[in-house]
Amino acid sequence: MAVIETVNLTKVYGHAETAVTALDHVNMVMQAGEFVAVMGPSGCGKSTLLHLIGGLDRPTEGCVRLEGRDTSRLSDTQLTELRRRKLGFVFQFFNLMPVLSALDNAALPLLLDGARPEHARAKAAEWLHRMGLGARLSHRPRELSGGQQQRVALARALVAEPLVILADEPTGNLDTRASDEVVGLLRQIADEAGRSVLMVTHDPRLAAYADRIAFLKDGRIVDETRLSGDRDAEAQVTREKVAAL
Amino acid sequence: MSVRNALLGLLAQRPRHGYELHAAFVALAGGQELWDVKPAQVYTTLARLADAGLVTQEGVEKEGGPEKRIYAITSAGQEELTAWLNAGVPSEHQRDESYIKLMLSLSLDMVDPYHVIRVQRNALFRELHRITGQRQRADPRVELATILLLDKAVMHLEADLRWLDMVESRLEDVRRQPLPQPEPRPRGRPPRRRETIEQTREAARAAEPEGRALPVGAGR
Amino acid sequence: MNTLFFQYALAVRYLLGRKLRTGLTTLAIVFGVTVFFGLGMLTPAMSEAFRQNLIMSAGEVDLTVTHVTGGSFGAAALDVVRRTDGVAHATGMLRRNILLPAGLGRASGTKQEVTAVGVVGLDPATARTVRSLSLTTGRFLSDDDTSTMVIPVGLASKLALGVGDTFALPSSSGTAAFKVVGILSARPAAGVEEVCVPLSSAQALINQPGQINVVEALLAPGARRDSVAAAVQARLGDGFRLGGLEAGGEVQAAIKFGQTFYGLFGLMALLTGAFIIHNTFRSVVVERRHDLGMLRAVGASRRTVLGLTLAEALTQGVAGTALGLAAGYVLAALIMAAVTPLARDYLRVDIGRPLVPTVPNVVASVVLGVGIPVAGALLPAFSAARVSPLEALRPAADSSATRAAGRRALAGVALIVVAALTLVSGQFALSSLGTALFLVGLILIAPAAVRPIASTFGRLLGLLLAQEGQIAQGNLAREPGRAAITASTMMVGLAIAIALLGTLSSVLGGYRGYLDRSLGAHFLVMPSSLVLSGGNVGAGPDLAQRLRETPGVGALTTLRLASSEAQGIQLQLIGIDPGSYPLVSGLTFSQGDPAQAYAAIGRERAIILNGILATQLRAKVGDVLTLRTPEGDLPYQVVGVGLDYLNSKLTTGYISQAYLANDFHETSDVLLMVNAAPGANVAAVGGALERVVRDYPAFSLLDSESFRASQAEMLANFQRASYALLLAIAIPGLVAMVNTLAINVVERTREIGTLRAVGTTRRQVQRMILGESVLLAATGTAFGILAGLWLSYVFVAGMRATGFILAYDFPWAGVLACVAVGLLIGVLAAMLPARQAAQLPIVAALRYE
Repeated sequence: MAVIETVNLTKVYGHAETAVTALDHVNMVMQAGEFVAVMGPSGCGKSTLLHLIGGLDRPTEGCVRLEGRDTSRLSDTQLTELRRRKLGFVFQFFNLMPVLSALDNAALPLLLDGARPEHARAKAAEWLHRMGLGARLSHRPRELSGGQQQRVALARALVAEPLVILADEPTGNLDTRASDEVVGLLRQIADEAGRSVLMVTHDPRLAAYADRIAFLKDGRIVDETRLSGDRDAEAQVTREKVAAL
Repeated sequence: MSVRNALLGLLAQRPRHGYELHAAFVALAGGQELWDVKPAQVYTTLARLADAGLVTQEGVEKEGGPEKRIYAITSAGQEELTAWLNAGVPSEHQRDESYIKLMLSLSLDMVDPYHVIRVQRNALFRELHRITGQRQRADPRVELATILLLDKAVMHLEADLRWLDMVESRLEDVRRQPLPQPEPRPRGRPPRRRETIEQTREAARAAEPEGRALPVGAGR
Repeated sequence: MNTLFFQYALAVRYLLGRKLRTGLTTLAIVFGVTVFFGLGMLTPAMSEAFRQNLIMSAGEVDLTVTHVTGGSFGAAALDVVRRTDGVAHATGMLRRNILLPAGLGRASGTKQEVTAVGVVGLDPATARTVRSLSLTTGRFLSDDDTSTMVIPVGLASKLALGVGDTFALPSSSGTAAFKVVGILSARPAAGVEEVCVPLSSAQALINQPGQINVVEALLAPGARRDSVAAAVQARLGDGFRLGGLEAGGEVQAAIKFGQTFYGLFGLMALLTGAFIIHNTFRSVVVERRHDLGMLRAVGASRRTVLGLTLAEALTQGVAGTALGLAAGYVLAALIMAAVTPLARDYLRVDIGRPLVPTVPNVVASVVLGVGIPVAGALLPAFSAARVSPLEALRPAADSSATRAAGRRALAGVALIVVAALTLVSGQFALSSLGTALFLVGLILIAPAAVRPIASTFGRLLGLLLAQEGQIAQGNLAREPGRAAITASTMMVGLAIAIALLGTLSSVLGGYRGYLDRSLGAHFLVMPSSLVLSGGNVGAGPDLAQRLRETPGVGALTTLRLASSEAQGIQLQLIGIDPGSYPLVSGLTFSQGDPAQAYAAIGRERAIILNGILATQLRAKVGDVLTLRTPEGDLPYQVVGVGLDYLNSKLTTGYISQAYLANDFHETSDVLLMVNAAPGANVAAVGGALERVVRDYPAFSLLDSESFRASQAEMLANFQRASYALLLAIAIPGLVAMVNTLAINVVERTREIGTLRAVGTTRRQVQRMILGESVLLAATGTAFGILAGLWLSYVFVAGMRATGFILAYDFPWAGVLACVAVGLLIGVLAAMLPARQAAQLPIVAALRYE
C-alpha cells in the first residue's frame, strides 16, 4: 500500500482577483522506502506540496492520504499527533531549539509524546551516534557546524520512527560537502530503515540521490522520472557520457 | 587520441604486451563501466603507433599460451609524449549529440522538442543517480582517483542539466530564429585549442546580445 | 505526565537563557509580593497588639451583660438581672483597661515593661458567688476594704510584687496607690492581666461614681441559658448586649482600613508585574515564533505550547513569590523595628510580638504572586499556541500587521469618558473603578497615539541626532503596536508613581494643615496613648482646675471621650467645651458654619461629625442621628462636618461635654490643651505646668511646637519611604523597554547588517537604537505623567468626598523626577541592545534569517 497518496491536491492562496494557485490538482503516490525528490523553479509549489503532505497546512481541494487515511479531515490535535508519530521534518534552517542540547533536541518528539525522558534520550543518542555525532550529545546548536546541526535535525526527524521524512531544502544552508553528507544520510535512511523520504530541492546533484524526481511547474507535476531500476540502460548511458568526457 | 597518448604513457612506464596494455588502460580509466575500450582498438592503435615510429616491438613472450608481442616506447614516442604532457587537452563539449537532436526536432515536426528535452533530462538524471550511487559506494581512502573522476562526471552532468533548463526556458526564442545554415567558408582541420577558445569567446560575445545559439564547432 | 516535565525543563532553560530579562520581570513579582505579604503580615501583628491592650477577656460565667456602647451604667440594670427568673446570683463590676505610664509599669531593676492592666472593680460581697477566684497567697478583698488589690501571679512576678507591697495606678486625680493583699492563681487569659480592686475604688479611679459596666450572673440549677438570656435581654432592651466587653472597635476598623490600603498598594504592584509579564511574554512569543512553529511541526500540541509558556510564567511566579515572601518578612521586621518604639512612646502599645504570618495572608500572597503572572501570561500563551507550524519554515518572521488601532482607540476614548463620569459621581468606590477603566483606556489609545507623539518628539530628537533620529522615528512608526506596548508599560509604571506622589503630597499637605489647626494650642497635656479610646485614664476636674490656676495660663480646653454606636457603626464621641474649644484648638469644617455649630452643640443634642463618620453614615448637616447611650437611644442633630488631626482616621463625633456627662456619664478629661496668656513667658508657663502634670503620671506635657515638629518629621519620613517604593514601581518600565528594544534589534538584524554594509558606523547604529529608545521613553513618560496627574486628582477628589479638606497639590517635583527617570530609563534600556546591534558582524547579520 502506498504510504502517501495525494488526490487532486489543490491549494489556492488569497481570494478572487488576488487568488494564487500554488498547487493545482496534484496526484502523487509514494511507496514505503521510496526516496522522492521534488524539483522545480521557485514558486512552483514545491514547499506547499510538502506543507500539505506534512499536515502543516490544509488543502483547498483534494486530499492527502497517509497509509490510506485522509488527513485533511483530522482535527488540529489529531494532525499534531500524526506529525509527532508518523512524520519527521527536516527544515532548511535546521530549527533546533537554541536552549536545548543536541541530545534533547533529537529527543524532542519523544518527549513531546510523553515518553520517559531516559528512554527518549537513549533513543536520541542512538540516532545521533548513527549520524556520527556521538561525541557531541551535550553541545548546544550554536556550538555545532551547519552540517552537524542538520544531522541533529535529521536525528530528531527519525527518533520517533516515522513513516515519512519530509525535508524542505535541507541543504539550502550547507556547503557542498555537508550537503552530500546530509542527503547521503537521507538515502541511507530510505535504503536501510525503509523510511520514505520526500525532499524538496533545486539542486540536481542532490535530487539525483532520490529514486524518483517529480518536476513541478506552476503547481502541477509536469514530469516525473524514475532514476533507479533499469540498471543496464543506465550503465550504457554512463559509459557513453564518460567516454565523451 | 587519448587512447593513443594513454598507451604511450603506459609504455613509457615499462614495455608491455597488448593484453596487459588493455587491462592497464581500463583500470586507469575507472573500470569498464566508465570507458569500455575493446582490446581490438588497443591493438589497432598499437599498430598505428608502430607505423608512426613511436613504439617498437621489443620481443615476444611465450609462456605456455599464445605468443605475445611486447612493445616499448621509442625516443620519438618519448618526444610525442612529452609534448602531450606539456600541452592542454581541448574540451569537446561543443560536439553535442543532444544539441543536434534538439535542433533537428525543432525543424522536423516529428517530435515535440520539449519532449526531447524531458527525455534527455530524465536520461541525465538517471545517469547522475547511478554515478552518485557509484560514488557513494567508492571508498575514499583507496579509490580517491575514481571518486574524483566520478565527481567530474557529476559536475558535467549538472552543467548539462542546467543547460537543458536554460534551453527549455528559451526554446521559443530559438524557434523564432532560423536554424544555423552552412556558411560559405572553407573547412579545414579542426582549429587548434587556443583558436578554439578564442573563437568560442568571440562567438559568445557575438551571440549573447541577440541571444543566438552557439555555432556548431566544425566537424571533420 | 512527562510532557509536563518537559515543559518545565524547557521553560527553565528558556528563563536561564535570558537571565537579565528573567531577573527583571521576576523582580516585579518579588516587589508586589513583598509589599502585599510584608504589610499584610504587619497589620495583624499591630492589630493583635492593640487588641491585647484594648479588648478585655470575657469571664467564665454563665451570663455577661454589657452596654452596646461599652459604656457604663447605673446599678438598676444589675437589679433587673438579679430579679430575672433562673438567675441564681449576679454581681456588678466596673472593668477598664488602663495604660500604665512609663514610670508605673516597670519594677525597678527589670527590663520587662507592662504597658497596660485590666482593672476590675468588684463587689467583694457578691463577686465570689459568681466567679471562682482562687488565691495562691494572701486574702481576697473584703467589704470594708478601700485601696486594696489582688493581682494575678503572672503580673506579680513581672513587677516583683508580693502581699503587702503597693502598686500605683494612674487615676483621675493623679495616682492611686493600692495595697496588694492577695495573689490570684494563674488564669489563662487573652489580653492584659487583670487586677481586682473594690468596686468603689475602681469607680473613684476612673471618675465614674456609682457606675458599673459589666453584670455577671450565675444561673440557678436546671435553668436553661437560652430562655434566661432572652428574658434578660427583653427586660433590659436592646441597649444592652449579652456578651463580654468589646472596646476599640473604631481603632480596629482603622487598622483594617490601613491593611486594605496597603493591600491595594501591593495588589497594584502585582498588577503592574502582571502587565510587565504580559508584555514580556508577548515579545517572547514574537521572538520565538520560529521555535514554536518548529515545536508544532515536530508534534507539540497546542496544549503543550500553551503549557510551555504558562510553565515559564509559573516558574517566575513561584520564584518571585518565594523571594517576595522572604523579602516581605524582612520588610515587615524592619518596619516593626522602626514602629515599635514609636508605638510604645506615643500609644503605650507594645508591638514587640514575633511576626507570625497568618495563613490567609500566606495563601493570598501565594495565590496572587503565582496566579497574577500566570494570568498575565495567559493571552500571550494562547497566541503562542496559535502559532502555525508553518512559521518554522518561513525564513524571516514577518512583522505582525497593524491591528485595528482605530477601533481600539475609540474604545479607549469611550472608557476614558466613562472614567470621567465616575469621577463626577463623587462615589469613591466608583471613581476607583473608573481609575482602572482610565488606565485600560489609555493603553487602548496608545497604539494610535504613538505615531503623532513619536513624530513630535522625533522633531526634537532630530535636533540632537540628525539622521539617526529620522530612522529611529520611522522604526517606531513602523511598529506602532509594539511601541505602544512598551510605552504603555512605562506609562502604567509612571502613572502609578505620579498618582501616588500627587495623592501623597496632597494628603500630607492636608495633614500638615490639620496638624497646624488642630494643635494650635501652646501646650498639650497628653494621655498615655494618642489613641484616645485606648485605655487612657482620664483626669477629674481638679487637673483642669489646677492648670487653669497656674500663673500665666490663658485659655484652656479639654476633651472627653465616650463611645457609642449609630446605625450599627461604632464611633467615638469626643466631648468638647463649645465655649473654650474654638479659642484653643478648632475643627476644620467642610460642612456647616463653625460658630453656629459650636453654639448648637452647647445648646441642644447636636453633633459635629468627622469626615469618615459622615461618609460611613451618609449623613449631612440637618440630619438627625440616633445614638446609643447608656440612657437609651437619643436623637442628635448633625450641625456640621469637620475634623481634627488626631482623630482624622477614626470615626468620630463631637458633642458638648454637658451632653456627654448627661447621656454618657463621662466627665473625665482625656486631653487638655492650654494656651499661655498673652504676654506671658511661654517657657516659664511650661515649667509651671510641668510641675502640675507631674502629679498625674497618666499625662505628659507636650510643647505643641515640638510635637508638631516631630509629627511633621514622621510625615516626611513616610513620604521618603513612599518615594523609595515608587522608584521600585518604575523598574518594570525599564524591563519592558529593554525587552522591546532587544527584540527590535533581533528582528532587524539583517537590516542593521545592511546599514553597516553600506557604511553606517557602529556609533550611528548605536545612536539609532538610542534614539528609538529615548523616543519610546518620552512617549511613555508623556502618557504616564498625563495619566498619573489624572489619577492623583481622582484620588484627592475621592478623599475630599470623605470630608478631608485637601488642596490638590500639583506634584511638580514628582513630574520633574518622572521626566528625568523616564529619559534615564530610555537611555539605560538602549545601552545593551545598542551595543549588541553595533557589534553584529556585518556578514553574519546579512546572512541572518
